Amino acid sequence: MRSIRLENVSKKIDGEVILDNLSLEIPAGKFFALLGPSGCGKTTLLRLLAGLETVDSGKIYLGDQDITNMPIFKRRINTVFQQYALFPHLSVFENVAYGLRLKNIKEDIVRKKVYSILKNIRLLEFKSKEISSLSGGEQQRVALARAMINEPEVLLLDEPLAALDLKLKEQMLIELIDLQDKFKTTFVYVTHDQTEALTVADRMAIMNPNGNIDQIDTPKRIYEFPRSKFVASFVGRTNIFEGILHNDNDNFEFAIEGLGKYVVFTPEKKSWMMLGSKVLMCVRPEKVYISKKEMTGFSNHMTGIVDDIIYYGSSTQYRVLLENKKKILVFEQNDEHFPQENIDYYDKVHLYFQKENVVLLEY
Amino acid sequence: MKRVKKFFKEDIPFFFAFPAMLWQILFLYVPLFILFGYSLFTYVPVLGKNVFSLQHYLQLFKPAYFKVAANSFWLAIETTVICILVAYPTAYFVALQMRLKKMRTLFIFFLMLPSWMNFIVQVYAWFFLLKKESVLSLLLYKIGLTSEPINMLNNHFSMLVGMVYCYLPFMILPLYSVLEKMDKKLIEASADLGANRFQTFKKVTLPLSMPGLLVGLFLVFIPAFGEFAIPDLLGGAKNAYWGTIIVDKFMKYRNWQSGSAVGLSSVLFPLIVIVSLYGAYRLISFLRRRNVYKNVGSK
Repeated sequence: MRSIRLENVSKKIDGEVILDNLSLEIPAGKFFALLGPSGCGKTTLLRLLAGLETVDSGKIYLGDQDITNMPIFKRRINTVFQQYALFPHLSVFENVAYGLRLKNIKEDIVRKKVYSILKNIRLLEFKSKEISSLSGGEQQRVALARAMINEPEVLLLDEPLAALDLKLKEQMLIELIDLQDKFKTTFVYVTHDQTEALTVADRMAIMNPNGNIDQIDTPKRIYEFPRSKFVASFVGRTNIFEGILHNDNDNFEFAIEGLGKYVVFTPEKKSWMMLGSKVLMCVRPEKVYISKKEMTGFSNHMTGIVDDIIYYGSSTQYRVLLENKKKILVFEQNDEHFPQENIDYYDKVHLYFQKENVVLLEY
Repeated sequence: MKRVKKFFKEDIPFFFAFPAMLWQILFLYVPLFILFGYSLFTYVPVLGKNVFSLQHYLQLFKPAYFKVAANSFWLAIETTVICILVAYPTAYFVALQMRLKKMRTLFIFFLMLPSWMNFIVQVYAWFFLLKKESVLSLLLYKIGLTSEPINMLNNHFSMLVGMVYCYLPFMILPLYSVLEKMDKKLIEASADLGANRFQTFKKVTLPLSMPGLLVGLFLVFIPAFGEFAIPDLLGGAKNAYWGTIIVDKFMKYRNWQSGSAVGLSSVLFPLIVIVSLYGAYRLISFLRRRNVYKNVGSK
């Protein structure tokens, strides 16, 4: 397996700049997710990798090999298309065998390989069926088999699960992870759905609406330590406050107008973290503790009035109106059958969070 | 609930389609059956009445008719082949390469425009292009392709030009409509799986456009077999064609019974040819597929 490297890639479509001077490295043999909102250019990026589009400028490397101008049919990169793009005039068997037939491989080897992969995806008894008679999940698996049978170095998946319902989607995500584990092919998974990306990815890249990559990291680090306002708000739910930075010995002090001062711990100090400058502070809703009683042992404290409650079963989401008329989201795990206190609409509540559970972002 | 659904899904469409169906039945199928009825009887002067006989059909297999049928088949084959060769690239280009829907619609409009004109006017228009004093023949002379302005009328070439010109839209339209509806992602998927352009065309585009090709075949081959006017006007009436016999039977000999038999056979003959060719094609692909799955489950 080889890694993929994009160097200063630019692409315009119909005069509109989609990608501008983008560089990205996709590690070999990993499940890599590219997450971004609709229309940010992530599909264009995938099409460039597949060879369905050509770059205006820049280079694409597979390992050390320059594949920028290599025609699509010579690349050992295969794609699972969004709507699967299965051949309607061919049976399941012939769809899967398509890539092998092009290479003039002997009939008995083709048959053996197709049978083995169909067995793998539990579709062997469907081999002579027509594509139109399959369900969405089955078509999805055929599309996967059709691409994987060519033993590509890289498998590109363009929102492959977008058309499936939630249960099937969860099941397919696990199958994808298993498949990647087994073959160690580099998977590049493009999606706008953050849960999908967080579930499958070893590493993920977040693309902002301008087509730039904001952050590349493990899902966990992306979620816990977002590096930009866009990443923080796009991946998961978050509370973002504007304020002024002050110093307080080892930790920063973050002053929010109309609320007060909060202690913030940051593992590394960035150049933009200057005293007196305007910055952003993010707190994830599940990292805020909500109670009607006063508590001790927390570094930061806010008070507010419950504005809205949504019960999700495993957790409850509260929206609390703070003293500065801004709202904050709080998740509480419903881990007790008989909770110690019942929080209701318009209750006055105390909110607590630790200084380590806060992230500072450049304004 | 089921009845309501049936009402909206079946009854209402039927209600609106009914007048068209009635029209079709009254003015197409009924006359055809009348013709068919005519063709089954022969007037016997001695008896002074019509007698049931298959004589008009049997006479079609006489050697004299055979030559005419061969002429017509050859004309129909030539026309169809040239039509496919011209129509396929055109339809392919318009449906798959023209990205703007507006441009495609415009192209189809200009394609159809001449066909709205009277058929005879279309044919006569070619007189002015192909005759000795025409712009085209002067042009060929001026650029030095011919040593003098030539007459291009009244030969096989001019006849084929007219045939292809008149029947081309009927080949382009069905091909265009299947190619335009085709999912373009399939072409990308094929290339992605390692097929070059030619392989993609052979394995994806062509098989998927077969229905359109088949419709075009029906719309061109069958009427081309029975064509009368173009061979007569542009071909100089040098050879007899099946259409010529139909006209002669009706207009010259006033024999409606024999004419009906010739007329109906002008549809039946090419239809039989196409259907048997298609049947053979299906049979071959069926046998081939069965071969692939012969050892199903044994491994």
